[in-house]
Amino acid sequence: MSPADVRVPREDDFTSRLHSPAVASRVGLWLGISFAVCFLTGLVSHWAQTTDPLVPFPTSPAWGYRFTQGLHVVTGYVCVPLLLVKLWTVYPKLFGRPPRALPALTLELLERASIGVLVGASVFQLATGLVNVTQWYPPFSFRPAHYAGAWIAIGALVVHVAVKLPTIRAALGRDVDDTALDRPEAVAEGSLSRRGLLRTTGVAAGVAVLATAGATVPWLRRVSVLAVRTGEGPQGLPVNRSAQAAGVLGLADAPDYTLVLVHAGREVTLTRDDLLALPQHEETLPIACVEGWSASATWTGVRMVDLLAQVDRPSGADVVVRSLQTRGAFATTTLQAQFVEDDRTLLALAVNGETLDLDHGFPCRVIAPNRPGVLQTKWVTRLEVAT
Amino acid sequence: MTARLLIGAVGVLAGLYGALLLLERTDDLVPVLLWVAGGVVLHDGVLAPLALLLAVLVLPRLPYAARTPAAAVALVLGSVTVWAVPVLGGWGRREDNPTLLDRDYWLGWGGLVVAGLAVVLVWTVLRLRAGERDRDAATGEDA
Repeated sequence: MSPADVRVPREDDFTSRLHSPAVASRVGLWLGISFAVCFLTGLVSHWAQTTDPLVPFPTSPAWGYRFTQGLHVVTGYVCVPLLLVKLWTVYPKLFGRPPRALPALTLELLERASIGVLVGASVFQLATGLVNVTQWYPPFSFRPAHYAGAWIAIGALVVHVAVKLPTIRAALGRDVDDTALDRPEAVAEGSLSRRGLLRTTGVAAGVAVLATAGATVPWLRRVSVLAVRTGEGPQGLPVNRSAQAAGVLGLADAPDYTLVLVHAGREVTLTRDDLLALPQHEETLPIACVEGWSASATWTGVRMVDLLAQVDRPSGADVVVRSLQTRGAFATTTLQAQFVEDDRTLLALAVNGETLDLDHGFPCRVIAPNRPGVLQTKWVTRLEVAT
Repeated sequence: MTARLLIGAVGVLAGLYGALLLLERTDDLVPVLLWVAGGVVLHDGVLAPLALLLAVLVLPRLPYAARTPAAAVALVLGSVTVWAVPVLGGWGRREDNPTLLDRDYWLGWGGLVVAGLAVVLVWTVLRLRAGERDRDAATGEDA
């Protein structure tokens, strides 16, 4: 193929012996596993953010969401080199000639449609995930689109596996250099051998892990030169949404701030000094964000269950948490009963030995074990026992 | 065959559920579909042809011993560059939150590129010492 030879290529123009089911099925296997990991950890995150799930989200282990969401995002990065190599190995098929006979043509078109859905949904999932991690928002609502896309991608992937199962089994059952399943033209030796390509893809996946995982694995911070956060921040903790962005400046630091506890028409009003006068407890719990970064901190504050006893919260009742924040989707959240009743759940007044920074939720914030960061509501002003 | 049909049916159901979610809950369907189509076009029309041009036009012009190292490092650095676009572009960086995107990402990326070039160099020298030469001798000057 010379530069002067400008025309749409045909499948048999692609002569590299890397364009082989032997390579595609191996990279495809890793990619399939990675997609499954992303899908399952994504379901966990969706479950954790569902206000009223059928099965309550567990409060233990405290590091559970930190682990699953960190894995979700790091695996998403890993999927990029895997998907690029996978698509490259099968790229010639894009230019394959469809069969003439109608039944075969129908099947071919159906398969191509399913591949189109798979590729479109896969690229969409990775692209939206990558930009969400840096908090750059596309012109649509991220969470429902990414969630719907996940089902479409995984569905199309399962269909693809079903269609290709005989080829996959045949390819994986043979040596990677076996040519029995190859197109007759795909014989050209290139710069990389098949094993070389597979190893290089593995290295690219490893680099993606090392370069990003420091956002959630503290001892990798210095290595992860492309991680979205260093883990630094006020009081040794990064901030997801600042006080300014949440529109609480002048409200959260107002001298007349009060916290109101509400249950069945009864209201108890507390100042920050009242809260400080209550028995204080210390817990070491992570902040683990949907964006995949996380950091552990030592929090001091009032146990949620003790606090709500002041308005006789009945056992099993959820609590609606209202924040002072005037901007953002999480001004009101539901703290489910199992979190309220976990002794580790605090209305925190201090972190790492210092009064909460305004950006960390001063005057007080929710901190509970095994919860997405977006639900660890900051600048709390009202706790209403749901009835 | 029955097993494959069953697996396929499960996949179709999952995909349809996703499509239903998309239609039901995303009132901003048009930008979503534009992103989907844009992603496919960007890959099939830009990224894949670029990779192919690199393989067909650039690699064969390198000294023989450097081709494998260059291809391997190009794959690693190329994929890093693709997924690093949002951090390199500083997409989402805001003045009120200095804890987000708080590294010099171009420096980190540049470091990876330098490391990659060093790998190409050392690997090429090692290959030359091991006596790797173009068997076709199409480019005789690679020593």
